[in-house]
Amino acid sequence: MPTFIAHVDADSFYVSAERVRNAALVGKPVAVLGNQGACVIAKSYEMKAKGVKTGEPIWEARKKCPEGVYAKRDFEWYGVLSRRMLQAVQSFSPIIEYYSVDEFFLQVELRENQLDRFAADIRDAVYDQVRVPVTVGIARTRTLAKLVSDTAKPNGAKAIPDRAAEEKMLGRFAVTEVCGIGEKRAARVAPYGVRTALDFIRADGRLVREKLTIVGYELWTELRGERVVPLRRFRAGKQSISRGGSVKGTVVCPMLLWAWAVRNLERLIEELHYEGVVAGKLAVYLVYKAGQALCGEGPLDAPSDRFDLLLDAVRVAVRRAWLPGAPITHVHVVADQLRRERGRQLCLFTQPSPKLEAVARVKREVNARIGRFAVRSGATLPLSRLYQDPAENFDVPDIKGKHCF
Amino acid sequence: MLAGIALTWSELPLDLIHAENLAGRVHERGGEREVRFYWYDYTPLLPVWYEGKLRILRWGNRRRDCRLPHTGCTRRTTIEGGGWAHLNPERVRVPATFGVDRGTWFTVKEGVEGIVVPDEREQPVVYVVCEPATEYYRLMTRSEWMPALLHQTI
Repeated sequence: MPTFIAHVDADSFYVSAERVRNAALVGKPVAVLGNQGACVIAKSYEMKAKGVKTGEPIWEARKKCPEGVYAKRDFEWYGVLSRRMLQAVQSFSPIIEYYSVDEFFLQVELRENQLDRFAADIRDAVYDQVRVPVTVGIARTRTLAKLVSDTAKPNGAKAIPDRAAEEKMLGRFAVTEVCGIGEKRAARVAPYGVRTALDFIRADGRLVREKLTIVGYELWTELRGERVVPLRRFRAGKQSISRGGSVKGTVVCPMLLWAWAVRNLERLIEELHYEGVVAGKLAVYLVYKAGQALCGEGPLDAPSDRFDLLLDAVRVAVRRAWLPGAPITHVHVVADQLRRERGRQLCLFTQPSPKLEAVARVKREVNARIGRFAVRSGATLPLSRLYQDPAENFDVPDIKGKHCF
Repeated sequence: MLAGIALTWSELPLDLIHAENLAGRVHERGGEREVRFYWYDYTPLLPVWYEGKLRILRWGNRRRDCRLPHTGCTRRTTIEGGGWAHLNPERVRVPATFGVDRGTWFTVKEGVEGIVVPDEREQPVVYVVCEPATEYYRLMTRSEWMPALLHQTI
């Protein structure tokens, strides 16, 4: 029996998730705002019809759609629904890639005349079990399946199983609408008459490989119906972890800069513990208002997740990246060269410190019981207002187990 | 500061809509009717769960002849500091589906905190409890103060 790939994609996922728990939002123009409360990160089809775009600031969106309702993001809730969606689609195939918070790829073996019914069954099952509307596209490869679901949105179920139908569909897509081909890549092949996705698959493979590297060549092959990008059933271990972001304005004062760096380090250590890894390398990125971004590395004798050792490394890293007097807009702390905590190689230069480890353990346990950052470094005191703000008690929208952001 | 709230039509009993003459406050959003209560209405009113039932009460005070504070909101710290103690305020829930502040409509889960105090004719008047805006709310609405939302943080 032939093998096909089904792509399941939630329609306006964040908005749909808000509607699951608040029926009053159904049918209304709704937008979900991002972490700072200033930008639209998802919008309903009703709001899209008014011209509101993702990424647009709220003050622009408000002008276009004064009746629009704005909801605060709640990534924890979206994670709950995402896992429920995963459970719902798992009954249709054992081979699944949990691609992103609202997207799944399934490998299925079916006859061509069963595909449309199968797509509709997945769509209906997800809605019945989770109440989130999804669109399902089925095709010979994952790249084609994603395009099929794009054509069937919202709440569609569609299968395009043969070459003739694929070519008809590809002729309607600009090449930039293929996931993985942005404006820059498209510009490289434009001189050769490649405008649509159909032009792209008809281009010479050697030219595609030369101009768009192996990544473009793989897309070209997939769009021609040959599967080269396999479904990833398990997530590979993380290569690096970072924590950081905007400093809510600009920072010039070194005390305040240090407070942000330490806050992000404490968040980073939380994540290192969650993943059960230690950092082999530590770096701090400072983004300046003038536009430049500077990176400083901090020395680590051995891979570690100990606050005192990582703090020393961050101190050096900040000094290396800091331009005195220049306003900073973003501070990121990045842990690289991650290793599993168990079985790591020890170092002669780093003495074990049972006392400091005990302090770290108590800090973790108190925070787990009382609340996040109930015990935190005194260096973060200049940010007390931020810690008191309940709206700030969130972290990045990382839903465990998926592949893509 | 909170400029108004909206309550879906189905949340209000029909006899209350007729008795309080709320027809002029009915609007449509996304094909569904809702009743809106704005602070800048000629007669500002709010729905309130008071004395065991849903009632429509006068919202704050804009009348010069009334000795109650000339505002529609009161800070939580003022209540806790005893600023309203002489009027024996009663804590109430103002049900709402959406709230609006400086033109931004936001979702309300359970409602907004309020207090009810009597005016000089012993008629109940409701004031919305407010608190300093979270950073998120401040960016969203450009407002320094936000209504005290029940079991909800924006």
